[in-house]
Amino acid sequence: MDAEKSGAIADKGGEATMRYARVFGLVLILAALLFPATAGVAQERGITPTEIIIGSTVPLSGPAAYWGLGVGRGIDAYLKSINDAGGIHGRKFRTVLLDDSYLPPRAAVNVRELVERHNVFAIVGMIGTANAFAARDYIIESKTLWITPTTNDIWAGLREKKYLFVTYPSYLNEGRILTQYAAEKLGTKKMAVFYQNDEYGLGLLRGVKYGVGAAKGVKLVGQASYEVTDADVSAQAVKLRQSGADTVFIAATPTQGALIVREMAKLGWRPQLLATFTLGDPIMFRLAGEAWNDIYLTAYFPLPGSGDNKIEETLGTLFRYDAALRGSPYNALAGVSFIEPLVEALRRVGPDVTKDKVVAAMESLRNWDGAVARGVTFGKDRHQGLNRIYIVKASNGQYVKITDWISYQTSF
Amino acid sequence: MVDLAQFLVGGLAAGTLYGLVALGIVLLYRSSRVLNFAHGDVATLGAFLAFTLLVGLNWPFAPSVVASLIGTAAAGALFYFVVLRPVKEATLLGRIVVTLGLALTLSGANTLAFGADTKVFPFPLSDIRVYRLSGVVISQLSLGLSAAGVILMALLYLLVQRTRIGLAMRAVSQDLVAAQALGIPSRRIFALTWALAGALAAAAGILAAPVTLLTPFMMLDPFLKGFAAAVLGGMDSMPGAVLGGWLLGVMESLFAGYISVKFKTTLAFLIIILTLMVRPEGLLGREFHRRV
Repeated sequence: MDAEKSGAIADKGGEATMRYARVFGLVLILAALLFPATAGVAQERGITPTEIIIGSTVPLSGPAAYWGLGVGRGIDAYLKSINDAGGIHGRKFRTVLLDDSYLPPRAAVNVRELVERHNVFAIVGMIGTANAFAARDYIIESKTLWITPTTNDIWAGLREKKYLFVTYPSYLNEGRILTQYAAEKLGTKKMAVFYQNDEYGLGLLRGVKYGVGAAKGVKLVGQASYEVTDADVSAQAVKLRQSGADTVFIAATPTQGALIVREMAKLGWRPQLLATFTLGDPIMFRLAGEAWNDIYLTAYFPLPGSGDNKIEETLGTLFRYDAALRGSPYNALAGVSFIEPLVEALRRVGPDVTKDKVVAAMESLRNWDGAVARGVTFGKDRHQGLNRIYIVKASNGQYVKITDWISYQTSF
Repeated sequence: MVDLAQFLVGGLAAGTLYGLVALGIVLLYRSSRVLNFAHGDVATLGAFLAFTLLVGLNWPFAPSVVASLIGTAAAGALFYFVVLRPVKEATLLGRIVVTLGLALTLSGANTLAFGADTKVFPFPLSDIRVYRLSGVVISQLSLGLSAAGVILMALLYLLVQRTRIGLAMRAVSQDLVAAQALGIPSRRIFALTWALAGALAAAAGILAAPVTLLTPFMMLDPFLKGFAAAVLGGMDSMPGAVLGGWLLGVMESLFAGYISVKFKTTLAFLIIILTLMVRPEGLLGREFHRRV
């Protein structure tokens, strides 16, 4: 009887042990499923023992593909050259480029895909102010490193800017600086603007208005816009001529920029021409022909063909990796100028990469010269790394630097 | 006054291109009721083919253009045999969607094969040499392109209205069963129509490229405008397509000059809507009445 009792008790004890073991096992499985990364060291998204994943969404198709392919493939070719030179502290870059066709809704979706599916460490670039604005809140809220969207003042109204770094000139300040220069040195009295009817063109138009307000004796007498798909801008040329302007500022894509200059030449009308730095590609001499000579524009890195050794060397490397970039050397270099501060920061961080360490390393860049970008300065309270441009003049098929750097105030 | 005349000259030059695009759209619509959304991309393909022969292989201008027209015509006929013919059981809407697919495929292929950068299309006429007539300026290139456009339109009209092939094309478009019963080889006629539309598209592309500069997306705007011109003139009328092109070109230019540049592109959409509301068959289109 006692023996039976003790046997029963022993059985009950065994059952309880089994039950605990089962529950414990279940908890372990659940824990393993829920927290897979807790087994080793906590990993940063986009950083693996062998890779650093960088993503971007740019127009690879559609009317702005010229910009997207140049910048996107420029970034890709540059990172490949770094990989072949051994990578950064044993890690190689992997670039994920998604196509947004210059459409803001697609850019917004692509950014989610980059972060949630491709697990990128940082998003570099993005072309088009409207696209960047559509994706901005998600990138900021997901605390993703965002390096140089090529846009208007994207930071306006943002509270959290810790992970946003920009080395791209401000359209607003560029418009103002060129207008003031034209008023003071070129005798401009009546200004007109040919601009793209979106935030890119409007930002420059605002800059010109700002410059007209700041300069003495200059009036804005005309403005004509175009859509990015427009193939005929003859009416805009007549309208600009009608305004009686002596100077025309061009805020356009290379295609429409060339078209309007050709149309004005056809009319036999030759006002003083000014243009934004996005038209700094030497290809413009071919597209716009003779009429491109004597135009004034700005630049924020030494232009291809200007005799800068580092620039020519970088171009040589880019062309070796992607021969198609020969068709858009300026955009390819721009792509490099966006990514190289991040590459430098990763170098400074060492093998143990975290996002916050990269932020600290970026903030340590002071008047830093890369292969393309020059004078990049970031700091704890300064994430706009570039606040200077210079003016060039197109002369005999080449751009000639005519001013020193002209600085403006940083906004964040 | 000089500005008004200049707006008219610019509008007519652009209108010739719209008319040429509209003709290709109408030609196919008349024969098969298929609205070819790939017409613009076929035009771009034609321009790129000619460019490759001219610049890449250093061919002279005329053989490059002729080879491009033949190549694009062959591509049109091939598309009919390989894609459209096998889906002949699909609804009309289904077949139209197939052309949308072709448009996307061609656009991607053009970008991949020829690059997205903007290229200058070499043309024997100068863009900068201009003629002046009491203050109104027209370039040698615009004049030449407009003349070439008008000659092409006239040739196409003669082909369709005055030849046996044209008669067969019209017969097939009016009553397919009756045409087949009379022994007209409808498949060959359809393929020929697609080939002709392809060549016409290539001609439009080659005439547009020197003005718009050559990119894989250069025909986005002219295609949209050509479509609007076709609706305005009448989807089944070839003279209507030409008239629609010129009217749209002039209206657009005057609208941009005197009302609003910003809404210039919107005007084409507005014209499509107004035409469909007021006169759905277009200016020169035939009115269809169905008796109940």
